[in-house]
Amino acid sequence: MVWKDLLVERRSKETLNALFFFGLLLLFVFQFALGPDRERLAGTLPGLLWLGFILSGLLALGRTFVVERENDCWEGLLLAPGDKSAIYVGKLAGNLLLMLAIEAILLVLFGFFFNLDLANVLPGLAVVIALGTVALAAVGTLFAAMTAQVRARELLFPVLLLPVEAPVLLATVKATEAVLLGETLGSVAHWLKLLAAADVVYVAVGVLTFDFVLEA
Amino acid sequence: MRRLLGGVTLAGLVAGLVMGFAIAPREATQGNVQRIMYLHVPSVWVAYLAFGVVLVASVVYLMRRAEAADRLAHASAEVGVLFTGLTIATGSIWGKPTWGAWWTWDARLTSVSILFVMYLGYLLLRGMIEDRERGARFAAVLGIVAAFNVPLVHFSVYWWRTLHQPPSLMKPGPGTMPDIIVAALLVNFAAFTLLYVYFVTRRARVLRLEAEAEA
Amino acid sequence: MTAGNWGFVVAAYGLAAVVLIAYWRFLVRREKELQGQGSGVSEPQASVSGHPRSEPASRSPLP
Repeated sequence: MVWKDLLVERRSKETLNALFFFGLLLLFVFQFALGPDRERLAGTLPGLLWLGFILSGLLALGRTFVVERENDCWEGLLLAPGDKSAIYVGKLAGNLLLMLAIEAILLVLFGFFFNLDLANVLPGLAVVIALGTVALAAVGTLFAAMTAQVRARELLFPVLLLPVEAPVLLATVKATEAVLLGETLGSVAHWLKLLAAADVVYVAVGVLTFDFVLEA
Repeated sequence: MRRLLGGVTLAGLVAGLVMGFAIAPREATQGNVQRIMYLHVPSVWVAYLAFGVVLVASVVYLMRRAEAADRLAHASAEVGVLFTGLTIATGSIWGKPTWGAWWTWDARLTSVSILFVMYLGYLLLRGMIEDRERGARFAAVLGIVAAFNVPLVHFSVYWWRTLHQPPSLMKPGPGTMPDIIVAALLVNFAAFTLLYVYFVTRRARVLRLEAEAEA
Repeated sequence: MTAGNWGFVVAAYGLAAVVLIAYWRFLVRREKELQGQGSGVSEPQASVSGHPRSEPASRSPLP
């Protein structure tokens, strides 16, 4: 499943290209909205970074099942033999890779435009980003399957996802802030534990309930 | 039976009002504003109770496919959102004289607001799916996700705020309150719980009638 | 901390009363509505509302 999705993704490449462009646009929008004052931008950087991740993540996750829907393969998903949780894990892994790719690009762009010294903070930042992205993708994949067949899905998907991700957003922004200030990961251990707990809970609930979402 | 429950609930609410206004004394530091507590804190309790019931009913629905469980989850979520809204509104009114602002990102207000939007999304999802059976299934999944999210919301908001200032209502600490205030609070807790049960049974009944009318 | 604060107390309780009563009335009205259009088998409540319109019991269901 993962390989099939990645293959489709690589063949088309359209999603990644469009999302890369979207990330670039976001940076411009942030700059224009907040003005060129570097001092002020620096204070809001962790928030902006995660805003960028979330907005591009929403677009990426919302498209999780778009191929199946447009090509009338939905029935195939519903009727697929065996454990449906395998489909969930496959879709989750695909989304995770896609989101991490976009986030890596966004991070480089942020470093370039906002004059960040990424090399020193990268290990810590990578931990925070990885933990946060798993939480985003786990719920996002589940909700994408739920909203795929609903009218107004473009609206319903973020409306359902954003409130649920509120604790993840609080944790990642706070942890990113500390890491960018040069603090050790130990000083934000409570946030990292919360993110890890969120990852475990979300993935477990996703695996256990996905069967019910994809019921014929 | 329903009449009786309604009557007892009404009596409980009146008793709660009497306890809160006539019997409980004026609180020393906050003055009369503290009396909003008899409304605010039981509302939070009912909201958490309601969302807990949503979780249990959702799990039962997914296991047994009993439509009654689905209706219970729906009714409970709606009543929970109602009381969450009341908690936010009364908290805001309480905040104006105590903090000098209608809104502060106090830990409890913030986490209750997150619950409010989360379960508002739940009701929105229910309203947007026409197929009854599928709507029930999806709503049950969302009800489970949302309930597991409650402790995460709680801790994240608590840490988010406490790094700057201690939250005002996080630990009401019954030990520090006079017994009479605790007693008034308990009466209101009981009355609001009855009100919750009354609302949910009526709402579930309306949902059943709606389903029958459609069939 | 004087009489002025009563305003906030009254506002909070008043708001709660309005909201709760409105929800209760919505439930009662909706239930009555649904019972009206439902099959006449379930307890045909003789003119609880006191309105002089034909009660559901007098409308015979289609055979």
